[in-house]
This record gives sequence, C-alpha cells and structure tokens, in this order.
Amino acid sequence: MKCSDVERVVPEYVDGALKGAFQIDFETHLKSCPACAELVSELKLIASEARQLAATEEPPPRVWLRIAAQLRGEGLILESESAPSQPILVPTSPRRRWSAWWLAPVAAALVVASSYVVTHRPVPQVAKRQAPASRMTSPAAAASPTPETAAAPSPVVPAPAPQQLAKKIAEPTRIGGSAVPPVVEPAPSEEDQQFLSVVSTLAPSMRASYENELQAVNADIRETEAYVNRNPGDADARQHLMDAYQQKALLYQIALDRIQ
Amino acid sequence: MTDPKQDITEREAIEQAKQGHEAAFEVLYHLHKRRVYSLCLRMVSNPAQAEDLAQEAFLQLFRKIGTFRGESAFSTWLHRMTVNVVLMQLRRKGLPLVSLEETLESNDEAPRKEFGTRDVRLTGSVDRLQLQRAIDKLPPGYRTVFVLHDIEGFEHNEIAEMVGCSIGNSKSQLHKARLKLRDYLKFMRAEKAKTG
Repeated sequence: MKCSDVERVVPEYVDGALKGAFQIDFETHLKSCPACAELVSELKLIASEARQLAATEEPPPRVWLRIAAQLRGEGLILESESAPSQPILVPTSPRRRWSAWWLAPVAAALVVASSYVVTHRPVPQVAKRQAPASRMTSPAAAASPTPETAAAPSPVVPAPAPQQLAKKIAEPTRIGGSAVPPVVEPAPSEEDQQFLSVVSTLAPSMRASYENELQAVNADIRETEAYVNRNPGDADARQHLMDAYQQKALLYQIALDRIQ
Repeated sequence: MTDPKQDITEREAIEQAKQGHEAAFEVLYHLHKRRVYSLCLRMVSNPAQAEDLAQEAFLQLFRKIGTFRGESAFSTWLHRMTVNVVLMQLRRKGLPLVSLEETLESNDEAPRKEFGTRDVRLTGSVDRLQLQRAIDKLPPGYRTVFVLHDIEGFEHNEIAEMVGCSIGNSKSQLHKARLKLRDYLKFMRAEKAKTG
C-alpha cells in the first residue's frame, strides 16, 4: 500500500470501518511510514477528543424562563388549580418556606446594583459595590457604594471555575492595579449560600442543576467584571455585566417560584 | 406516592408533562438542556443564536410530547428534533449545509501544510478550548458534518438524510474537516510555542 492509497482510506480506518486484508495492509504501511502514522494518529486524536465536547455547555437561566412563559402562553402548562393535588417537587419542610422570601428583595437588589455598576465608574468602586454579600440585602444599600469590602465569611462550596470576586472583596487594594493574578475559588456569598440552602430541598437532579447554573452565572459575572476593570470604556462589556446580574436575579426568582 | 425529594424518572416526567405539569417540563428540560444547547452552540458558534435554537427545540418537543409513545429513546427523539431545528435555521439563512469547497477540491485529498507546522505534532490530548476555537473556524458545511458525526455521534447515513447529501459526500466532508482542524491545531500549538 502506498501513501496515496493510505490517504484515500484513512477516513474509514479512523472510524473503524476498514477490515480484513485492507486493514492489515494499512497497518503494515503505518509501521514503515512515520508521516502516515502521524497523520492517522492525529486524526484519531481529534475524533476522540471531539466526543468529549458533547453536552458540555450550560445554557443561561433565561432559556428556561422563556420556554416556561411560552408554554403557559400556549396553555400547555396547567394552572395549579386544575393540576392534581399531589405536587411533584416541593420542599417537605414547612420551616424552610419562609426563608425563601428573602430571594425576592435580593433578586430586585441585584438588578438595581447591576444598573448602578454599569452606569458608574469601575474599579475599585465597581468591585466593592458588586460584592453580592450582605450589602445586597436591600436595594438602597445596593445602590450606595461603601468603601469597606467586608467579605461574608462562609463555608466553601466547590466550584471548578476560577473566581476573582472574592479576592477583590478581600483585597481591594489590588484592584485597579496591574493585571489581576490568577485567583483561588472564593467562598460563596451569604445570599448564594442561602440560595443553595433553599434549593437543597429539591430533588437531587434539580438541585444539581440549580447549583450548576449558579456556578455558571457567578463565573460569568466574575470574568466580565475583570474585563470591565481592565477595559472600563467598553460599553458592551458593561451591558453584558448588567445582563449577567439580571441572569442571577432571574435564577433567584426561579428558585423562589419553585419553592412557593 | 412519589417522594417529592426524590428524582422522578424521565418516564414519569414525560407522563406528567403530557398532563401539563410545569415541574415535569422543567425536569425534562434540565435533564437534556446541556446536550441540546451544546449541539446548537457548536453548529452555529453564536451563544445568542444557540439560546434561541435551544429554546425552539424544547418548545417543539413539549408541543409534541403528547405524541411520544416511547418507541425510541426520548433523548434520541429530542436530539433529532434539535438537529432539524438548527438545520432549518441554517437553510433559512441561506448557509450551505454542505461545504462548497467539496465541489472545487474533490481531487485534493492531500493534507495541506500551509501553516509551516511540519514539525509540530498533536500528541497526548488536545486542549478543549483550542479544539472549540478550531471548530468555530471551520467553514459551515465542514462544521455541520464534523459536529454531527464526531461530537454528536450520528452515522453518515443519518447525516446524509438530515443534511440532504450523499453518504460519500458526508464522509468526504468529515475527512476534510478533520484535516483542517489538524492544521488549525498545529498552527495554534506552533504559535503558543513561539510565545512561550
């Protein structure tokens, strides 16, 4: 078998469709031809690595909101009065129900805070203002930037993405200086902890889904904040940051709707 | 009685969704959202469009869920529906589902080493981000076949039927897509090696 023959049947070989004598001849050629062996090896690597890309991206929370709204509009979702009395996924502990009410003002506060962030100067005020920690318990507080950056002490929730926000909260003097260094994962904010506590009452798969969505939106906020800090004049980035905050507010709202 | 703190099965969610339970729809959404959204994103390389397409795929699924009888796997049904939604969108935009290069380069089967990366080898593993970027660079027709075959696992006969080309064309497109990706990845590695 010559190199030109190999190149003609390499797709079949990579996909495991080359059999019998053809396969033997093919592999015999590879043993004596480094160039063809390299080609085959690299194409197989690409094909196998590609498979890992399936189902890796997380859609933002707004996708579900839009779907649900459309389904309601089309009458495909029954109103609660006409639905069977047995709920599908609800928290069983009455004690937890009251604690979900904090989500509504926090959700509103996030939107107000995002508007303030986007329209005012960035770094270091932006970083301090954006702390989703205790400052955001009321819209008024969220709209008034304060110089201190008290980070809410909290247990660590494992999250894969690098998180810069907590470092900015903890070390405000570093912000606005040179390039932000690689960061360690910060502790979740108090509001995030409470959100996680609320969704912990849901079924495991739903809980994991909400946790993943929170991680994703937090990572988006952090990355965009860092970008805005470096590029304060970028209006698109500011708008994206506002969108990210609104996504987080939506996520809180979804959890609130789920628990009520 | 279903324990509300336990996951309901997909089958239970399907039956409850047929009765209009919002929570059941949401369970099905969360079970399949990554697969659907990832497929849309890889095909169009645009997050905003991918969101719209994923939304449309789920809406079509939920509108038709009453007709699902379980003859095939639910995920397969949704998967196919998603691909059709994306391909419909690409057709509406007038984008070629099969690369036009196929008609011009049908005799060119030799890999092109235009980036001077002869000495760079792809070994071990490929950086996922680099691979994603390389896929985004592919011409739409090559990308479609590559995504459907190597990422999503469709066979060439299925791709040919969905895209509207021959099986041979699908195989050829895939091979060319892989060769291009090989070139892109080698170029990226060479560039990275230069910058350190």
